Amino acid sequence: MAEYRTHMKIIGDILATTRDDLQDEDGATVTYLIRKANISHSRISRILKTLVSQGLLEQLDYQGSNKYKISQTGREFLQAYYTFTNFADNFGLSI
Amino acid sequence: MEFLLENILNLIGFLVGLAIGIMALIGFRNTGSPTLFRLTIAFFSISLGFFVIWAGYMTEDFVIKSGTIERWIQTLGIAIQTIGYFFIAFSHSIKSFFPKSSYFRSVGILPLFLVSSVQLEHIFRSVSFILLAYGAIETMLSYLDNKNKGAISVSIGLSLLALGEFLGWYSFVFPESILYPISMVIKIGGLIALLIPVSKVPLTRIKFDADLE
Repeated sequence: MAEYRTHMKIIGDILATTRDDLQDEDGATVTYLIRKANISHSRISRILKTLVSQGLLEQLDYQGSNKYKISQTGREFLQAYYTFTNFADNFGLSI
Repeated sequence: MEFLLENILNLIGFLVGLAIGIMALIGFRNTGSPTLFRLTIAFFSISLGFFVIWAGYMTEDFVIKSGTIERWIQTLGIAIQTIGYFFIAFSHSIKSFFPKSSYFRSVGILPLFLVSSVQLEHIFRSVSFILLAYGAIETMLSYLDNKNKGAISVSIGLSLLALGEFLGWYSFVFPESILYPISMVIKIGGLIALLIPVSKVPLTRIKFDADLE
């Protein structure tokens, strides 16, 4: 059965992908993020817009297309996310 | 003996609730998670509830010196704790705690004004027991899903608090028996069990919000 993911977990997955899975420093394309984070194009577009406006991701213009790279704030958020996921897990909850 | 245990219990309850509440608040400020917000309200309520009872005992012992704590203070403290237990249970997806009908919703609180504070204490203790038992079962079920060992400790903690509430409520039947001191010892054990896994969360590596530093 497919696992239900909270909005927070999807954000965590996107940030983790941009931090851990990239081979180069150019950032990730939307297509790559859709495949890795397993999320629809319309939904990821809204989330990416929010993450860029919050300063968690940096949007780079690369040969006419957008690429996304995690920012320092995004790294700190991701660290806090993992810590408090563990905290909430102790109570049997998801953040 | 009972007075000493009561003081130890309420002081530990206040400190444990405050510690977990602050940790949940830091988490909420850093992630914006609604779950952590509910846990913040839950543990600050539990902490405040224990503090109210502790302050009541201290006031009685050093100022009023009547020999017994004012009943309404104890009832108020237990009521505030019950709110905290409700938010823990609510976090486990209690969606409809109150009746849906607006008529019942408007008069649902009426019985609280028609009963004495002793009866209110019975009601709050029994509601707390149900909420704690629900939280303990849900936490144990989540352990079966994710195998997080901390969930066992929290589940045991909530179970011990539930058992303590039950024995505290049942001690009304046998007022001078050992049941009430036992219930307090069990609740102290429950609070310590709650704190154990939370104390292992590595907060030191997190860069906190500027307001919280």
